[in-house]
Amino acid sequence: MRYSELMATDPDKVDAAFFDELRKYYSDDEIVELGAFIGFNLGYHTFFGSLKFYPLFSPDGRLLTQAESEELYGAAPKSLSSSEAAE
Amino acid sequence: MSHIAPIPREAITDPEMIELIAQSEKLGMPDDLFPRIIARTPEQAKPLMRALLLSHAQGNVDHRLKEIIRVLLARFANDKYFAALRSRKAQDMGLTEARIDAGCCEYETDASFTEAEKWALRYADQMFLDATKIDAAFYNELKKHYSEPQIMELGAFIAFHYGMQMFMRSIGAAAPKNLG
Repeated sequence: MRYSELMATDPDKVDAAFFDELRKYYSDDEIVELGAFIGFNLGYHTFFGSLKFYPLFSPDGRLLTQAESEELYGAAPKSLSSSEAAE
Repeated sequence: MSHIAPIPREAITDPEMIELIAQSEKLGMPDDLFPRIIARTPEQAKPLMRALLLSHAQGNVDHRLKEIIRVLLARFANDKYFAALRSRKAQDMGLTEARIDAGCCEYETDASFTEAEKWALRYADQMFLDATKIDAAFYNELKKHYSEPQIMELGAFIAFHYGMQMFMRSIGAAAPKNLG
């Protein structure tokens, strides 16, 4: 979680000491898997955010138009499992 | 020295991965460091390499423009590795270092860039600087110069390459020493 957060917000903090900590819990192969996954998502979430896509379905499974979905989910991203999203 | 060591070239035995590395070396972007690092996760490495090559060297947007955008993003990401690499295909098409520098810094006031090129450069510039500026009005302007498939090609290219650049920056990958 720290790796994903810092790669986007403060990449200078992802330094050798940070990797020493990561290696206490993950192998180098797992760190590469994590890092490439985080980078991919960092790029694509920003791109998709610019397109103003909204979820196709309501939390209870109804198919929505993008306008209905925008009204339901609002401007700020929310998890589908969020209780706020269901309101 | 990056925080993660690349695996030896001879340890990569998957034929498709070997072919993808050959394609990327022919293009000059990337060299074999990136694939030797991501090859630590073989099943993830192949789609990443396919996407990297396809998004950059194929499609319906000028490859030279995409090369300028790629370098602009790498410099913004402070990724020394990808920022130092150059596409031989773009060079063969006439792209110069002066043109890349102009595209990364002064494109707004450089009359040699067309309005279409400037909007594509703004798209890359703003995506990770201030994505809130890429709104409906911005997309309406883009659509004056590019088809929707071209805009998706550009957006996906920008997102993917910036993501891989931030990953390579995070592992401390250095600029290649021998650039031909």
